[in-house]
Amino acid sequence: MIAVIRSAATCFWAVMRTKMAEQMAYRSHFVLSVILLIAGDLVVPLITLLVYRSGATFAGWTLYEALLVQAIFGLAKGIAFPLFFGMVNTTLGLVREGTFDLLLLKPRSVLWMTMLRGLDLDDFGRLISGGVLFGYALSGVSAPSITGWLQFAVLFAASLAVLCTFALLLSGLLFQWVGSSRVFDIFDSVTSFGMYPGTIYSKAVQQLLTYVIPVGLIANMPAVALLGRGGWETLGAAGASVVFLALGLWFWHAMLGRYTSAGG
Amino acid sequence: MIRTIRSIQAIGIATYKEWAAYRSHMAISLLIGPVYFLVQYFIWHAVYQDRETLNGFTLEQMLAYFGIAAVTNYLTFDFADWNLQMLIRTGKFVTFALRPMPHWLFALSQKIGHRSLGFWIEFVPIFLIFQFAFQVDIIPAQPMWAVATIVLSFLMNFFINYCVGMTAFWLVRAEGIRRVFLLLKDISAGLFVPLSFFPEQLQKVLFFLPFQFTSYVPTRVFIGDYELAGIKLSIPAIVGVQACAVALMAAVTLLLYHAAIRRFSGVGV
Repeated sequence: MIAVIRSAATCFWAVMRTKMAEQMAYRSHFVLSVILLIAGDLVVPLITLLVYRSGATFAGWTLYEALLVQAIFGLAKGIAFPLFFGMVNTTLGLVREGTFDLLLLKPRSVLWMTMLRGLDLDDFGRLISGGVLFGYALSGVSAPSITGWLQFAVLFAASLAVLCTFALLLSGLLFQWVGSSRVFDIFDSVTSFGMYPGTIYSKAVQQLLTYVIPVGLIANMPAVALLGRGGWETLGAAGASVVFLALGLWFWHAMLGRYTSAGG
Repeated sequence: MIRTIRSIQAIGIATYKEWAAYRSHMAISLLIGPVYFLVQYFIWHAVYQDRETLNGFTLEQMLAYFGIAAVTNYLTFDFADWNLQMLIRTGKFVTFALRPMPHWLFALSQKIGHRSLGFWIEFVPIFLIFQFAFQVDIIPAQPMWAVATIVLSFLMNFFINYCVGMTAFWLVRAEGIRRVFLLLKDISAGLFVPLSFFPEQLQKVLFFLPFQFTSYVPTRVFIGDYELAGIKLSIPAIVGVQACAVALMAAVTLLLYHAAIRRFSGVGV
């Protein structure tokens, strides 16, 4: 077990070093990309700010509370995108070129190799925008209790599991739907439900967004936990993320089984 | 002149056929468009729970704003910037430099073909979904002016994006600049929220920038009234202003294009 972890860590750091060296070759582009990601992630909070500035509100949510949801969304993406979503780009590019076979030949798990190849340092920039917004939002709400923080930790892990599952589903889809970069548009549209307080949706939609397509788990439920509005029963929703992740893993491997090489 | 029109037609038809082979790529908009709109539907219903109007918009007008902005975007959508930067970075632009037609006109012809396909696959079905499934009134108040503003918006979007694409003639990797600029363009065009939500001083600045003509103006022309930074204009007047802005942007594009072509050097590809 220890040998497996050590091997995985060695691979991870080797790839990270290479990626860092690659980014440093185009430093200005790297810095610009990070700044852009930060700016891009602040667009939805900007809209929220403009809406609240004009005197309107989401019923039951102050500006800081609404921004907290969006900050947690940014933080989750700041971790999930660099680690998991590169898989989507890797599958998109390699399957189209017919060079995905090279990953099948490596002496490591195909999923692990796909993930490693897709590691993307730019996306860590999202942690900056998410972090700054998180601090700002927290400054305007009552300090969360220890229980709130504990619930948040569990639900945030569930949030990462949900995002990882989306990466698996999109990446798996690309084994059959070759070269369609619009999978990112599908992701953005579906997860946009998760960027706003859950109470703006009808009860039925809220249930759907918690247990069926659990995008409500990405940011809304962790925010609810921090605000002290969720009981321990909300942790039950985290179970949905585990089922969702298992589904994602099964789907990815099933789609990999359907991959037919173009012999590139 | 007739030869040029025939060339534009031939390139447009070829692009139409090429993209028709990948129509599922475009047809995915049938899922994405309504899903995005559904989110807007919930957001604005929640915001309007305790009020009749917000920044001069009623709930119906706000939903119409986002519905119209979405469907008109399917008519004017453009990626000339990405395409041009790719051609320059890979060196493939050299083959276009040798052709008896400027690349900007070739790219515009491609856009005409691409959006003609988008009209059937994206615009018509989503227009019907918004109009009948969401019950949002997106039928233009003055159809002839709506057609005129869409054509102008189509051109404005192209010229702005093409200028952004031309930064690749001067920069090694212009991808970052392109994305920053397009983000600012989308915000300044009122794609995320109507421009009347911005502070008064910023609205005055936005009035003089070309970006409002890509989305905000066509949307307001569809609705039937125009106002920005306290300036109210009739529909014919704002479409006239839009036409002048497009002509100015076209002149800037041509100037930049000639400067860029003089700078370009490529090796055998």
